[in-house]
Amino acid sequence: MPKIIFRLFLSFVVFVSIFILIQRYLTPNSFGEYGHYRASAIDDNMLSVPFYKGEEECASCHQEVYDLKSADIHSGIRCESCHMPKIAASKDCKINPPKVEGSLNFCGQCHAINAGRLKKGVPTLNFKDHKGDQNCIECHNAHAPWELKE
Amino acid sequence: MGTERIVNKRRKFFQTSAALLGGTLLYSIIKPFEAIAQTEEEPTIDDKNLPLWGMGVDIESCIGCGKCAEACKIENKVPEEPFYFRTWVEQYTVKNDGEVKIESPNGGIGGLKQSVPDEDIFKSFMVPKLCNHCTKAPCVQACPVGATFISPDGVVLVDETYCIGCSYCIQACPYGARFMNPVTKVADKCTFCYHRITKGLEPACVEVCPTNARVFGDLRDKKGDLVKFLQDNPTQVLKPHLNTHSRVFYNGLSSEVK
Amino acid sequence: MEEHYQHLYEALSQVDGYIYPNEIDLHWGLMIVLYPYITGLVAGAFILASLERVFNIKALKPTYGIALLTALSFLFVATLPLVSHLQHPLRSYEIFMTPNPTSAMAIFGFVYLWYLMVVLLLEIWFDYRLDFVIWSKTSTGFKKLFYKVITLGINDTDEKSAKLDDKLGYFITVLGIPSAFLLHGYVGFIFGSIKANPWWSTVLMPVIFLFSAMVSGIALVMVIYMVVSWARKVKIDMLCLDTIAKYLFYILIIDFTLESLDQIHRLYEAEESFDIIKVLVGGKLNITLIYMQVLFGTIIPLSVIGFFQIYKPTEKIRKISYFFVGILVLIGIFFMRWNVVIGGQLFSKSLSGFTTFNAVYSGLEGYLMMAVWLILPLLILTFLLWLMPPWKKVSSHE
Ligand code: SF4
Ligand code: SF4
Repeated sequence: MPKIIFRLFLSFVVFVSIFILIQRYLTPNSFGEYGHYRASAIDDNMLSVPFYKGEEECASCHQEVYDLKSADIHSGIRCESCHMPKIAASKDCKINPPKVEGSLNFCGQCHAINAGRLKKGVPTLNFKDHKGDQNCIECHNAHAPWELKE
Repeated sequence: MGTERIVNKRRKFFQTSAALLGGTLLYSIIKPFEAIAQTEEEPTIDDKNLPLWGMGVDIESCIGCGKCAEACKIENKVPEEPFYFRTWVEQYTVKNDGEVKIESPNGGIGGLKQSVPDEDIFKSFMVPKLCNHCTKAPCVQACPVGATFISPDGVVLVDETYCIGCSYCIQACPYGARFMNPVTKVADKCTFCYHRITKGLEPACVEVCPTNARVFGDLRDKKGDLVKFLQDNPTQVLKPHLNTHSRVFYNGLSSEVK
Repeated sequence: MEEHYQHLYEALSQVDGYIYPNEIDLHWGLMIVLYPYITGLVAGAFILASLERVFNIKALKPTYGIALLTALSFLFVATLPLVSHLQHPLRSYEIFMTPNPTSAMAIFGFVYLWYLMVVLLLEIWFDYRLDFVIWSKTSTGFKKLFYKVITLGINDTDEKSAKLDDKLGYFITVLGIPSAFLLHGYVGFIFGSIKANPWWSTVLMPVIFLFSAMVSGIALVMVIYMVVSWARKVKIDMLCLDTIAKYLFYILIIDFTLESLDQIHRLYEAEESFDIIKVLVGGKLNITLIYMQVLFGTIIPLSVIGFFQIYKPTEKIRKISYFFVGILVLIGIFFMRWNVVIGGQLFSKSLSGFTTFNAVYSGLEGYLMMAVWLILPLLILTFLLWLMPPWKKVSSHE
């Protein structure tokens, strides 16, 4: 074999070998265990702490409100639908309470008239005609909407 | 005599280093095949013992309150700016003249508001959107490094520590379900709240939906809610002609939906 | 980041129709326009060089060396805009470590390496080895050192080794043609394989990319050849220039035909996506597509060179026209890339609306950076021409 070809071939082999070696050392450990990805990425995705704790957590302190809500028309709506958690741990509710203002805007998210909202019947109404600018919670109890206040 | 010893020494050195190099090389070549050699069962998406997550969306129930989109941002720390959504809600309004108006201001957060006067409306409905967790996911196919993948229980996930941020998957997703997270600088998308469902909780959007327009569950659980939803309703997936075999099923999907 | 948001709010206010909320941010900008552009120049320049060598078109001889060095200097830069656009550039090595076999982008790294290391460097090396040996004896300083090292210690200057160089070089060039096709057809495939995007997803995409690459590469070498001759104050070989122009003409015709075919096909089939594409072409892409790409980049050059095929004006006029035609073609192909990359992202995948592209001047994705990536290869080329001037070569292949 001519020297030139031999040398080039040799450099080629050396190059490829070095490449394979580097590849061997830089491929993450769990890569390829299940498929073409890092298997431990699945665990990484499980790591974060849920913000939304679920009704049981809420009920553990607010059993009364929970019972009231469960007995009425809003029973299907979970606490955190309206009371968006503002902090990671529900125990800290007191520090940063997930307060809700029963404003027209807020209740209107579900109950304002919208042509796309009629199908399975959430009651919608024109707030202006109903009570002008008055906030809903001035009359309605959000947890039991038909228990009207005075 | 002296030179000979040096030559010998040298030869020895070369021999050992060559052996070392060759050994490592051989090992590196064999390593990928280890998996085949060990006959241990690896979980795959076909594994019947694992759940296969999916979602049903009932368009007729959706009232466009946008709670799901808002909850998703809180739960998954998605930036508040209106350019990043793991899930959002669209309102379709078909006018009497046949024109279709689609809108989703701020992804529907804060509730969708009717923008077309009643007398012009032929029909109107709301469509929640999210990653469809395609079984044949174009995004997974496209990722050059394997930073996005389908987990054995059928959820399309992103490996945040491995993604190079090339955006190729974003281009490949036909549903606009992905975005480049400006904080982490990696591709981001709906994970079905993987951190929740693996703890037995429901995804945040399902949790907060006031009308139960979203049904989450295991497609292999024959008694589960999702299977029942699929049995009771005629369902369709988005863009079926693209053959993505997505696992988010819509009830009441109208042909206007893009 | 604030600035980025500002930018996006601006884009949000310019949205036309409905787009998915995640689509406001255009993910591929100027850098990705540059990437197929530069790779195309490489492939095109190389193919011009092979025309001379493999297909034995002797008139092109004066450009052979220049074409190869041009290809090399642009190839050095080709991946840089790509890497700089990554959100995590430091992780880019992963493409080599764990390439995903189903990804069109992953294999690009290997195609690139193959092309750089095996095809271009080897071909140039075989072509120059003998000269390196000879030059290393006559020069001093850095040059001498460079020549010495680069010969890899193979110092034979006899007839036989020259023959061998030549043979091997020829072999590599033959290997190089499919490689060049692969390199750029492949870039086309990166776009053509995205079924989510109807503007990209066409089987013709790799072929169109290939031919437009040849067009741009040939035009580039033509211009560079003229500039270099002018700088060296030597006479331009008019036969050579005419021949390049002739090939430019032919390939431009093929390119134009293919692209028209693609558009006619869309027009006639009028699939679901057609309505939006019609609006796109008539509106947002009007200037860059109809004027920059088709009129200035294709029709005018075609008519000028076409005219010269029938009637030959004086050398001076031809020279000047070729120069401007070359520049026009280069601009036209740049906008062709623009129309593909940016155009494909301007309309929503919901097929019901448009976003806008507002490029910035500064920053890693801005116009300034783009200018850097376009000027850098020219500087490298100047350096290479100084280091290994093709016109000072002693040896030369048959
Ligand atoms: S919807 Fe998009 S992001 Fe989700 S799996 Fe399908 S292609 Fe991937
Ligand atoms: S952005 Fe990340 S996840 Fe998406 S294709 Fe690129 S590397 Fe893969």
